[in-house]
Amino acid sequence: MSQATTAETKVWGGGRSPFNVSYGKMMMWFFLLSDAFTFSAFLISYGTKRFFSEVWPDANSVFHAFPFMGHANLPLLFVSLMTFILIMSSVTMVLAVHCGHYGDRQGVIKWLLWTIVGGICFLSCQAWEWTHLAHQTGGLWGTFVDPATPLDKFEHFFKHGVVTAANSSAALEASHSFYNYFFTITGFHGGHVASGVVLLIMALINTVNGTYDKRGHYEMIEKVGLYWHFVDLVWVFVFTCFYLL
Amino acid sequence: MSAHHTNDSIQHLYEGDQSKLYSGVMAHHTDINSADSKKQVGRIWKVFWILLVITVVEVVVGMFFSHTMPRALVNFFFLALTILKAGYIVSVFMHLGDEVKSFMITVLIPLVLFIWFIIAFLFDGGFWLEMNTTVPIR
Repeated sequence: MSQATTAETKVWGGGRSPFNVSYGKMMMWFFLLSDAFTFSAFLISYGTKRFFSEVWPDANSVFHAFPFMGHANLPLLFVSLMTFILIMSSVTMVLAVHCGHYGDRQGVIKWLLWTIVGGICFLSCQAWEWTHLAHQTGGLWGTFVDPATPLDKFEHFFKHGVVTAANSSAALEASHSFYNYFFTITGFHGGHVASGVVLLIMALINTVNGTYDKRGHYEMIEKVGLYWHFVDLVWVFVFTCFYLL
Repeated sequence: MSAHHTNDSIQHLYEGDQSKLYSGVMAHHTDINSADSKKQVGRIWKVFWILLVITVVEVVVGMFFSHTMPRALVNFFFLALTILKAGYIVSVFMHLGDEVKSFMITVLIPLVLFIWFIIAFLFDGGFWLEMNTTVPIR
């Protein structure tokens, strides 16, 4: 064997992990990769439908309420708060992972608890937003399908003066699609947040019980952390696609 | 879960000996108050502030400027900032930037498919809009 190939043989020659990762962590990455394609399929099909439509609801006109602020017009403010909560919980998660690298059990417990609090806050915000949209705008899955729906039920989702008699049927269909996609995608994301909170609670119980100390490493925190950061990552794209673009 | 396993060899079969796997920030350390640890925590908070500032800029542009600026420019701006945020999350928070380079490439290469995925489907939507508005219903 020539000298040049020795290093290569060592990396891929067996007896070690060429990627320097354990099986579990690698499979978490590959699962997240497949989940990324699932979410992007949703978001891209939302984009396709939007390109297909003559008119499309305006985020500033649909999302402008804030809890306990009555009818004040506060576009994007509530979703910014939700985004902040999720970014913050990502920071506390990565700090838990960091403490795990140092075998600091108390630190892991503290930061996991904060991450769980962040996740629950986010879910509560989402529950409020869904309830608000369903009650105040009448939008939910499968709404705005009746062709006889009067114009004043949906023209305020669009920028002022966009909806006319000529495009009212397209606007009605766009409202229908907008709400279907919004509730499906934020629902799928919320489901991920909820299962993430469950995983975090399981990891917390294991940490408190000293399971990871016995195991000799806190890699499980890292794997749950990957999932949690992915959920944050998806929200970054949901935020852009639904509220900004 | 393996909480009740006491047999080390079983543990090693599926979890591997972690000390042989990781290096750098992901290796096993002992002193949480060490300079290395503080440096890593500092890096995490720095990324937090970057993400926060980017989000605030996005929201301000979305609230006050997106109606007066050209739409294509606004969209490009939002997408560029979104990808920047995603990059920070994946590279620092998910530690992909600290992994072996070949693993990084293995995870990132499939994402190239998105280039086709996005272009093909958005153009399809645009094509159908054009057909619907220009071709009379038979």
